[in-house]
Order: sequence, then structure tokens, then C-alpha cells
Amino acid sequence: MKKLCHYLRLLGVFAKFSLMSVLEYRINFFAGMLAEMGWMAVKLLYVAIVYRTGASIGLLTADHILLFIGTYVLMTGFFMLYFGNLASLPGMVQQGELDLYLVKPVSLQFLVTLRRLDFPFFIPNLIAGSVMIVTGWRRAGLPVTWAAVLGFLFFLACGCLLAYSLFLLPYLLAFWTVSVGGIGDLTAALWDFNNMPQLIYNKWIQRIGTFLLPVFVITNFPGLFVMGELPPGMMLWGMGVSVLFFFLSRLVFQRALKRYSSASS
Amino acid sequence: MNPYLCVFRMGIEKALEYRTGFVLSMASAAFPILIQTTMWNYLYANGDAARIMGYSHGQILIYTLLATLVSQLVSAGFEWEVNSDIKNGGLNKYLVRPVAYRKYCLLSVMGQKVPRFFVVGPAMAFVIGFGVWILHLPLSAVRIAVFLGSLFLAFVLNFFLFYCVALLGFWLTDVDKLFGTVSIVLTVLSGGVFPMDIFGSTLTGLFRLLPFGYTTQFCVNIANGRYGWEQIGRGVVCQIFWIAFMAALERILWRQGLKRYAAVGG
Amino acid sequence: MSMILVEHLRKEFSYYRKATGLKGSLHNLFRREALVKEAVRDVSFSVEKGEMIALLGPNGAGKTTTLKMLSGILYPTAGKVEVGGFIPWERKDAFKRRISIVMGQKNQLWWDLPASDSFYLNKCIFGVEDSVYRQVVEELADLLDVRELMNVQVRRLSLGERMKMEILAALIHRPEILFLDEPTIGLDILSQQRIREFLKEYNEKSQTTVILTSHNMADVKALCRRAVIINQGQLVYDGSLSDVNRVLGDRRLLSVKLSEPVKAESLRRFGRVREQEETRAVLELSGSRVRETIGAMFAELPVEDFTVTEVPLEESISIFYRKEAAMP
Repeated sequence: MKKLCHYLRLLGVFAKFSLMSVLEYRINFFAGMLAEMGWMAVKLLYVAIVYRTGASIGLLTADHILLFIGTYVLMTGFFMLYFGNLASLPGMVQQGELDLYLVKPVSLQFLVTLRRLDFPFFIPNLIAGSVMIVTGWRRAGLPVTWAAVLGFLFFLACGCLLAYSLFLLPYLLAFWTVSVGGIGDLTAALWDFNNMPQLIYNKWIQRIGTFLLPVFVITNFPGLFVMGELPPGMMLWGMGVSVLFFFLSRLVFQRALKRYSSASS
Repeated sequence: MNPYLCVFRMGIEKALEYRTGFVLSMASAAFPILIQTTMWNYLYANGDAARIMGYSHGQILIYTLLATLVSQLVSAGFEWEVNSDIKNGGLNKYLVRPVAYRKYCLLSVMGQKVPRFFVVGPAMAFVIGFGVWILHLPLSAVRIAVFLGSLFLAFVLNFFLFYCVALLGFWLTDVDKLFGTVSIVLTVLSGGVFPMDIFGSTLTGLFRLLPFGYTTQFCVNIANGRYGWEQIGRGVVCQIFWIAFMAALERILWRQGLKRYAAVGG
Repeated sequence: MSMILVEHLRKEFSYYRKATGLKGSLHNLFRREALVKEAVRDVSFSVEKGEMIALLGPNGAGKTTTLKMLSGILYPTAGKVEVGGFIPWERKDAFKRRISIVMGQKNQLWWDLPASDSFYLNKCIFGVEDSVYRQVVEELADLLDVRELMNVQVRRLSLGERMKMEILAALIHRPEILFLDEPTIGLDILSQQRIREFLKEYNEKSQTTVILTSHNMADVKALCRRAVIINQGQLVYDGSLSDVNRVLGDRRLLSVKLSEPVKAESLRRFGRVREQEETRAVLELSGSRVRETIGAMFAELPVEDFTVTEVPLEESISIFYRKEAAMP
């Protein structure tokens, strides 16, 4: 518990310092925001199409889809917050820049993956995502109860943990192969599968995306829970797979570190 | 040997050098196709999409596939290099040599597209053939020739478009992040993801006045038979106009930018 | 009791040789020829508490690799190391709190923020008490003379100032053991001198155990009484700096001033002539022969004046660098 407080406090310091650093270059701050908004505009185009064609029958109306896309946008914001750290990992391994972090009495994985937080990417997604979620939720007439909201937030938290763990794994390959160029692009493309709710995909894609490569769990489970479309077994899976992958990422990180310490000079 | 021919050949070699990157970028392109196909299937099954969009279900699927392939061919992807040349002073080595930088870039990118054409070309033929078979697209040898011609013009237009964007690096430093966005937004505006004429007639009219649609959407609509000869004729004229316009704009940006470059010291 | 104990330390790492071209790449895909490089082979030494020793050797000798193993960054292939009673590569938090490492070519400061922020981050990471933290920073800032610079963004600092800040940041948690890997690399003479003075004073005051690697002999001479020299991963010398010359045959330089030029042959009889111009000459001879040589020279040559010095340290050490690892 004390340890957790210590880490949260450190995270606070990282957040503060990151914000201070990025505010040093105001143009970059706004350029970053603008850049992220460009990406978001593309995602919103999907919303526009959905509303234009007005899918109105079936389980998913346009409003439901808005809720899912909103969750996806919000989750993208959280992911972008620390993504820069993952992307710079291969370079750090190559240049031996882990050395000075290794001698700190704090988890290296924590230091290396959460050191820099990109607020310019986070803020637009946070705002737009939240607005979309609230709008979709209300227009779809979904229940606004404590249980629904807390459940939504809980699965959102699980999604964050899972996104972190799942997308850290390909970058850890850098410890063995040094360059991971294309793999990064490929996983980024995988992330975009959540641009549309999982329910529109066929059964097999849904199964793969839920159990094998659980990308759908990240942004779909909060919405499915609120819609009452998440059976208890799936709820357990949603929690379990997040914890599972988190420990997997810890395990692989330890292995990677061992390699760094024994293979380099 | 002519230096530009040499650059062209080096471009081809470069593309072959980075073939893993190319394979992966093609593979990454498969995901959006899957996502969009699924979306269209859902929307066409659960709503009155065909009437609102003006595309039949088959047409929109063919469009998605063709647009992705066309984007792969006409996309630029050299803007990073130009920008880093400007930022890190790599430009100097071109300035002191008797070569024109933009011609150098153009031929290098063109060379890089050659191997890509041999992969994308057959895929395109396959998709179009499929369209003819299932959707009975009106296809003639002339139309295919015009399509290929428009592809080339689209490539040149796209080159100048992104070249102008890259030259903004003279004024804005460290705009790496913006580049990714600019390129995705331009791809979307070009109709590289969905046809932009599904967003209503007002927007369609607006897009007809902008250069972007002439880099992807226009070409695709020739191949899938949506455009009649008159529309095609008008479109080609617009392509040529925009190429001339962008080339002129690029001259101005280049001259002004270079003044600034020299003043700041690179 | 030794603060640092190193016994038969070895470090090998394997790498692959790749033939050039596509053919080589393809060949590599199926059969790779693994080559083993021995970065450190069988190094043993120990350091007492409060001692400040120099770890010397030519580029690629294994100095940095050794330091990394002592600080727990790398696992050794074989051997035993104890630092402050800990085995470094177990990376216990208690161990990390007792040591610190400064690398001249790597930085830990946040580039866009003032150095004081990075100090604060280290305070949080190491869990240093507020009062202790304030006192340490004040004391060190005064010693390093950087009080005014602490609130300037790191990117605006000069290289020398930045290095001072790096050192300060590394000392926030008051380590008992400090590893310095080329702390003065790339700095101007004045900055080098300042950092040297600081390190000397700090070491005397706090009794911190220090291992220093440097290619700068001025650092070594000013700070360390003892040197450990490694070459090609092997220990070639361990002893006091002043003894380095004695071990190598105790050679002296005899500079003479003559009243008139003499022939080279007449000088050569007394020792190896290293320089000769007009009426000045420098001869090299072993320490035991200095007395008799001077006597003989006065008798035979028009000597006006003379001085005797030891061979410069740089020169003696460079002999160790060249030698095929063998303890004399």
C-alpha cells in the first residue's frame, strides 16, 4: 500500500514535469493537440457516416455506435498518454540508455513506460471521447444508474490496464531484435479495429478479438456492460484477461531485462 | 549518365531495400479494408444506406478496395525526408550541387513507386476484373488507358501537394507530429478511405473545387465506371490545373523558404 | 573491511558476424556464426571504505563494462563481486540506495526543465526526507558553485555546468559508493578543474568510496593515490600511482644544459638520448644509475646545469596500455 502511494506520487511528479516540459514550447503543445485532433476528425467521420446512413434496426443504433466510438476515442487518449515511451523503447535499448534507470530503486518498467506523459495528445481525446460517451449514452436511452456508471468506469479501467500490457509486448521484442519498425505499425493498425463496435464483426473475428488477441476487450466491454450485453462469464474474462496480460507483460519485461543485462557490454 | 536517371534508379533500389517495410505497410492496409468492409456490410444490412449514399453495396466495397490500392500508388511519403533535410541542414549538400532539389525528390519517389506498381497493379487488375464480373462495370481498353493516365497525373499532383506541405518546414520547426495528421487528413479528403460524395451534394460540390479529390477519388471513379466521359474530361483538366497551381505555389514557397533558410543559417 | 570486493570477474558477450550484402543477410538467417567477445577476463581487486581509486585502460579495455557490473547494470559471466555487502546484480533497492553512477556520456536530467526539478524527482525516487534533501542540495550547490544555475533549464546550460548538475543529481541520496565514468569528458580545462576540486573535497568530507575512470591524467593525478589498470579485459597493474614508474624499471629523465654543442655519440654513452638540440639534451636512464652518470658527465662534458625528473605518468601508463596483458 505504501509502495502504491509512492508510485502514484512519482506518477504525479512525472505528469507535472511532462506538462511543464511541453509547455516550454507552446507551439509544439498546440501542434500536438492539432495533430491529435486531425486523427480524431477521421474517427468522427465514421460517426458521421453511421448517422447519415442511420442504422436504426438491430441491437446497435447509431447512438449506441456513438457510445462505442466515444469509448474508443477516450481510450486512445489514455493510450497516447504513454505511447511515446513505448515507441522510444527500441532506441533506448539500442543506445544503452536504460543504464541510468537501472540503478534507481524503483521498478524499471514503471520508469521506462510512464516517464513521459503526452498531454497534448491526451486532452482532445479526453474531451471529445467524454462528450461522445455522454451523448451516445443519453440518446440511446441507456440507464443512468450508479451500477451502470461504476461498471462502465470499472471496465474502462480494466481496458486501460489491458491496453498497456497488450501493446507493450511487441515493443519488448526490441530487446531481442533491436529494431521493431514494422511491428509497431502493424499493432497500431490492430488498435483501429475498435473504431467500430465489435458487434458488427462476424463471429470468428469477434472470438479472435476477444480471446486470442483481446483488443476488443479494451474498448467494447464498458459499452457492452451498460447495454446489458455482457454475461457474467464475460465480465470475469474482462477482468481476468487484463490481470493476466499485465502479469504477462511484467514477466516478459523481466526476461527482456535479463537479456539486456547479460547480452550487452 | 543523367543524374536524374541515376536518382530514379536509386529510388528503385531503395524501395527494394526496404521491402519488409513495404510488405508490412501492405499488410497494415489490409486491416482498414477489413474494418471498412465490415462497417459497410453492417450499415447496408441495417439501414437504407444505398439510397442515401448513392452507391450500391457492391460499388462501395469495390470503391474501398480500389481506393486503398490507389492510395498506395499515389501516396507520397517523402515529406519526412524533405523536412529533416531542411531542419538538420541536409539541404546544403543539394544546394552546392548542380541539381534541382524538387526534380531530385520527384524522380527518387517515382523510382520508389516502380516496385510497388508491380505488386499493386495486379491486385488492382484483380479487383477491377472482379467488379466487371459481379457488378458488370462498363470497362473498355480506352477507359483503362485513361485510368492509368489519371493515376500518373494523380501521383504528380500528390507529389506537389506534399512537397508544398514539406516546405512549410522552413517556417515551422519540429512539425513531425503534424505531418502524420496532414497525411491522414489529406488521404481522407482525397477519398482514400470513403468516397467523399456520400456526404451530400453541398460537400460534394465543395470537394470538386478542392485539389484533393483528384488524387484518389477521381481515379477510382474512372475505374469503377461511375464517371461518364464528360466528367472524366473535366476531371483531367482539373488535375492538370491543380498540378500547375501547386507547382507555382511550390516555387514561391521554395524561394521564400530558401531566403529564410539562408538567413537562419540552416 | 573492503567496501568493494572483486574476484575473478569475467564478462563475455556473443555477437554475430554478418557478411555484407543480401547474400550475407540470407546466409545469416539460417546459420549464424556466434563469436564470443571477452570484455573482462579474470579481474580481481578491492577498494577500502573512503578510498578513491582510478580504473584505467585504453578504449575498449573493459572499464565501463566493469563499472556497469559493479553498479548492477550488467550480469557478469563469472566471478564474485561484493559492493557494500551486496551482490550488485541482484539489484536490491537497499543496494541501489547505497550507490550512484555518473556517466559522462549519458544524462539523467530532464532537458527542458531546470536541474532543480530533476533533483526533486530523484528525491522522490529515493525517498529522501525533505529536510535532508534541502540540506544536501544547498551544501552541494555551494560546493559546486551552481546555486544560481539550478533554476535554469538544463538545455541552456553549458556542458560543464550540465555535468556539475549530473553529479549533484547523482548525490542527492548521499550514496556511500560512487562510480564515475569519465566525468570530465569533453569539458574545458576550467570546468575539469572545478569538478576535480569538488570531487576531492566531497570525498574527504563524506568518506565516500569512489571508483573513477578517466582518460584525463590530470583527473587521476589530482584525485587518486591508487590505480587499477586493465588492458584487453585483464588486470595489468594494481598499486599506487607513484609506483607505476618504479614497476617499469624506475626510469628517470636527465635534462642537461651544456656550454657548447657536443656530438650525439658522446651523449649516447650515458643513456638513451630522447632529445638533443644545440646545447640542450634529454637522456633517459634507470633510477639506480643517476648518481654515477651525473658524475661521469660532469667529468667528460661541458655540463652547465641539469635536472632529474621521473618519466611522466602518462608515458608509463601508456606502456601498460600497449603491453600484452602481463603483470610485470
